[in-house]
Amino acid sequence: MKDKIFGVLQRVGRSFMLPIAILPVAGLLLGLGGSFTNETMLKTYGLMKIMGPGTVLNLILQVMSAAGNIIFTNLPVIFAMGVAIGMAKKEKEVAALASVISFFIMHASIGALITANGGADAMLEGAVADVCGITSLQMGVFGGIIVGLGVAALHNRFYKIELPQVLSFFGGTRFVPIISGLVYVGVGILMFFVWPVIQSGIYHIGDLVLKSGYAGTWVYGFMERLLIPFGLHHVFYLPFWQTGVGGTLEVAGKTIEGAQNIFFAQLADPSVKHFAVSATRFMSGKFPLMIFGLPGAALAMYKTAKPEKKKAVAGLLLSAALTSMLTGITEPLEFTFLFVAPVLYGIHCVFAGLAYMLMHVFKVGVGMTFSGGLIDMFLFGILQGNEKTNWIWIVIVGVGYFIVYYFLFSFLIKKMDLKTPGRDDVEEVKLYTRADVNARKEGAAANPEDAVSEGILVGLGGKKNISDVDCCATRLRCTVYKPELVQDSILKATGASGVVHKGNGVQIIYGPKVTVIKSNFEDYLETAPDEEIVPQAEEVAVTKEENTTAENETKEVKETIIVSSPITGLAADLSTAPDEGFAGRMMGDGAVVTPENAQIVAPEDGEVVFVFDTKHAIGFLTDSGLSLLLHIGIDTVSLNGEGFQVFVENGQKVKKGEKLMEIDIDFLKAHAPSLCSPVLCTELEDSDKVRLLAEGEIKAGEPLFAIDRY
Amino acid sequence: MKEFMYTVKDEQGIHARPAGMLAKEAKKYESKITIYKDEKSAEVTRLMALMALGIKCGQEVRVTAEGPDEEAAADGIKAFLEANL
Repeated sequence: MKDKIFGVLQRVGRSFMLPIAILPVAGLLLGLGGSFTNETMLKTYGLMKIMGPGTVLNLILQVMSAAGNIIFTNLPVIFAMGVAIGMAKKEKEVAALASVISFFIMHASIGALITANGGADAMLEGAVADVCGITSLQMGVFGGIIVGLGVAALHNRFYKIELPQVLSFFGGTRFVPIISGLVYVGVGILMFFVWPVIQSGIYHIGDLVLKSGYAGTWVYGFMERLLIPFGLHHVFYLPFWQTGVGGTLEVAGKTIEGAQNIFFAQLADPSVKHFAVSATRFMSGKFPLMIFGLPGAALAMYKTAKPEKKKAVAGLLLSAALTSMLTGITEPLEFTFLFVAPVLYGIHCVFAGLAYMLMHVFKVGVGMTFSGGLIDMFLFGILQGNEKTNWIWIVIVGVGYFIVYYFLFSFLIKKMDLKTPGRDDVEEVKLYTRADVNARKEGAAANPEDAVSEGILVGLGGKKNISDVDCCATRLRCTVYKPELVQDSILKATGASGVVHKGNGVQIIYGPKVTVIKSNFEDYLETAPDEEIVPQAEEVAVTKEENTTAENETKEVKETIIVSSPITGLAADLSTAPDEGFAGRMMGDGAVVTPENAQIVAPEDGEVVFVFDTKHAIGFLTDSGLSLLLHIGIDTVSLNGEGFQVFVENGQKVKKGEKLMEIDIDFLKAHAPSLCSPVLCTELEDSDKVRLLAEGEIKAGEPLFAIDRY
Repeated sequence: MKEFMYTVKDEQGIHARPAGMLAKEAKKYESKITIYKDEKSAEVTRLMALMALGIKCGQEVRVTAEGPDEEAAADGIKAFLEANL
């Protein structure tokens, strides 16, 4: 059970990576735009003339701020979609649509109840927010997550539902948005009653904070961080920043309420000797945390990522860490570990409280416009001078935070094997062998849906012959490569009332239940042998499938041979080659690399067996005994050698990395259908399995694929 | 053993794709099918060796088939060559 929950959390975390990728950019836009358009700040530094309202610079910054802000404002709905897409097993686009519909319906239901009960004024300050134009409860990202998770669960349960014939148009995937929408009317009503109770509880914790000095400051920092994922932090900190809850002070003859208001009033008052710590204790703690602590955590996550994934996570972590440091926007970084490793977030909250408390103890008086990044620290700390702010303590405490975060995170990630980015179990692309295919065939007819799917597959001439599958209200619409392989009689035997041919298109008429048939057929296709079914012709079928469960690997790998890339460029699965012959593995199995560098080098130590007269391909025999074909580009045979310069001859022995040829990338791009270059092993045993080791950027000499011998 | 002569008519000779197709065709038969060009030869199912022959347009090759279904194999390969190369 515990493992199951953990597994689900891990999937939720992984589904977050898609929306999280946009956050650093949005954060930078908002952070830069927001800080430099704050009028109090501009007045204080006499920048009104250069970048005050009405100037071109101000306009640009306003646009940046708005563009970044819209992402953060709509994070809940973005996460609702992200989670639904990540958690849905199949037909993910339907789950995405259903989640948006449900999100709107839930908030509209809440909104209607709020209006009926006296409107927003009857609620706590900060309890109500504008959610995509709906006046609803402020539920933050949590609101999006409950929609995403719930819709995905409903989707996985119902996307194949079969309804009675009369209603069957609404069956299958079409049923998902309907049921989700109805369920979330109920959830919305429920939330209207439950959520305010939680909110008012949090409001009362505010009282506690005020009455308990340093400990209270710790509680404030701890709670503020802890509430972020639930969107409840606004209810909590806004009163401190903006109302009398955060204290009152007389500044330049006026009584000012609220911590942030006090700070900015003092900023404008030249007679202030030291900023009121009683106000800044609700702000300064963010600085050591965001400028030093979190980047330390990012470094720890980078260092503990699997070696082959380091490059991929470096981009995400570096940009997220920079955003946190510069602007104090921490969500991009915090969300990378919040869901996959809640325990880290818990520790992070404890340290957040401690940071606020230490700042309070050391009388640091640095305020902020909205968060604690370098920009705000520079403007409101360093520029004000240490006399007035004690800002130097931010750096002293901060350095300690960086070290503690780095070592603590590294230790915990390794010790508990937490699945932070770059550490999750690899979803490998595996290849089926003949044995797997046969096993599949034997087990296939076990249930009736598969029998129908199998019939369709055979009737359409095998998986290899199918280019795509779709459906309209009553027909399964397929496109095939060779219409002559389609056998109407078999298709009709699967329950079809008719078959229509139009060129390469085949329409099989089933009636309204077709959506269910389509879903089942797509499932079946995924694992079906990739072959062409022609009467009496059986062939070795290899098909790839994402390996989610433990493979039925009863046999042990006797030997694994690694083949490195001869090319610097972008690696991909062989099936993506824009050429039927290569993609269908007719010439052998391996991978494709699209060159970005003109040099083609020896992938391993070995011998050049032959170079085609047209120079577009090289046959290579590795010292480990593998026959490789390096085929540069698609249909490049017709260029008669133009664009290629070869440096080796038949029979020449070469070392890994030695230059074999140089290509004219621009020329080939202009004259060949594709630069995509298959790197294949031409002679494999039936029991050999090829495993892709790299996808995306690859450098010559880095591992490209492996051959497992059984 | 059955054998026949064939002159390659395809402009680009036996490069990667036709070699792949030819090797696949040859695997349909039990007989050992060998292709001879000048003094060099290659078993047709051995893709690497086949490509290494570097057979070009206009060149004449000798094809042999030896085994239980050699008759069918020779005919089949000949038909394949005529249709594709």
